Amino acid sequence: MTTTERPLVLPGDPISPDLIPSSTSKPLRLGPGLRHVPPSDIVPVVAGQLITNHQKNSMWVEYNSNRYIPAPGDLIIAQILRSGPDLYFTSISPYTPPATLPHLSFESATKKTRPQLAPGALVYARVVLANKHMDPEIECVSQSTGKSDGLGELKGGMVFDVSLQFARRLLMAKSKEEGKVEVLELLGGEGLAFEIAVGRNGKVWVGGEDVKAIVVVGRTLRETDEGGLGVEAQRKLVRRLAKGMK
Amino acid sequence: MPREAEPSLNEKQFVLQALHDSVRLDGRELEQYRPLELTFGDQYGVADVTLGKTRVLAKASAELTVPYADRPLDGIFNIATELSPMTSPAFEVNRPTETEVLISRLLEKTVRRSGALDTESLCLVAGQKCWSIRVDVHVLSHDGNLIDAACFAVVAALRHFRKPDTSMEGGVLTVYTPAEREPVPLSWLHSPFCVTWSFFGEEGDVAVLDATWMEEQVRSGSCTISLNKHGEICQIAKLGGVPVEAVSLLQCTNVALVKAKDMSSKLDRWLAEDARRRDKGGLLAELSAENDRVPDM
Repeated sequence: MTTTERPLVLPGDPISPDLIPSSTSKPLRLGPGLRHVPPSDIVPVVAGQLITNHQKNSMWVEYNSNRYIPAPGDLIIAQILRSGPDLYFTSISPYTPPATLPHLSFESATKKTRPQLAPGALVYARVVLANKHMDPEIECVSQSTGKSDGLGELKGGMVFDVSLQFARRLLMAKSKEEGKVEVLELLGGEGLAFEIAVGRNGKVWVGGEDVKAIVVVGRTLRETDEGGLGVEAQRKLVRRLAKGMK
Repeated sequence: MPREAEPSLNEKQFVLQALHDSVRLDGRELEQYRPLELTFGDQYGVADVTLGKTRVLAKASAELTVPYADRPLDGIFNIATELSPMTSPAFEVNRPTETEVLISRLLEKTVRRSGALDTESLCLVAGQKCWSIRVDVHVLSHDGNLIDAACFAVVAALRHFRKPDTSMEGGVLTVYTPAEREPVPLSWLHSPFCVTWSFFGEEGDVAVLDATWMEEQVRSGSCTISLNKHGEICQIAKLGGVPVEAVSLLQCTNVALVKAKDMSSKLDRWLAEDARRRDKGGLLAELSAENDRVPDM
């Protein structure tokens, strides 16, 4: 594990120098929740756990907030609001300015073959541009390869709202070890067939043939998130809900 | 004016499809309420009702005023409803939305016009002095079925409320502080409860109780039935939406009666529990202002 200790920090707390990774080969990267005050101070701006990654020479504060702030590279689930002349206006989170999705940002899309999305449709997309004073821009295609890589319109299924922190935990490469969420593996083990797409904006899309299975997956995710369940409690929950389905 | 964020097409389709298969997103039966909780405040007449994630706070208060000129023998009874921007960004202060107007109207019809509170008992001196009872309803969190929760909160607050005791001697009206005499409950005649049915589909063939906000956004019609535990219906409001067959509406009222009885017994139990909590030394029965007065020696 690259993250060893996770001290709690409050806004404005001084950070002791031995917590700051000191690699000379790479520049230090500051993630969400930290601000660099010139010349050499690093100050947390939110309350949470300070996490340092020595391999990547980066540090950030892990905290749970309700407001999603777009950052480039994030995978999100957006809802189409309306179509403009050459782009879609989409909503990443309600009551925030719309994000733009160009009509040509889909796999092998040309002016004639672009996908026609109705208002209210959902897309799984990546944030390309997220500046402070500009509307964010999203895409459903990889700019380098021209492939969709699983991005694009989400057909059918249901969207469930979860907390931002839970969405990040689900998206971790080792969600079982580091994120302490095992529910998806457990649900698969119970024989439920479903597809899933997790957006960093706190939305989880669950698709599949069986309505009951989708509802069970959604309830498991929500209850795990709201109850802050540990791994053992997650096992119990999945067993209980899967039993109730049959 | 900010609009309410609409659910996506996928969500709308899924919720409707699931309801046609008799499946609800939170695993409830179609005719099952979410867990109903009630907490009373330290003061008399404060009721905090939660129904799942919906939360409504009602506060009753009394003040001495002059009765209306055309009704000199009646007291004044008002219900004020407020949906604050805290509930949803689509609500604004001082600009009542359709939801807010509907809730106020339905509460008015259910509680005030059904004669649940005996307004004549609020009159102290005919044409000169009367009590003005006011209930403020604040919606703290909105996850559907506001009407049922608000109605329950209003009834609970009014039944919990105690107004200061008064006496008339030789044309002199005296209002006693709680330290002098224990406050007295309102003269309450019956407890009406609202039960809201939501109808789904183009024919309105799926009927669901206690809809969540997501379900309310995709429903094609609703019907609010107000009744008390004796089955006396105070009002039925079916405001627009798809037409519903008379037979199924009758079925709905029968189920509503079961739910009203359930709510009524729950409220009675919570009121009794709260009375026991307040009755610390067991002296409340002795202190009650309704007891006969011993004449001064």
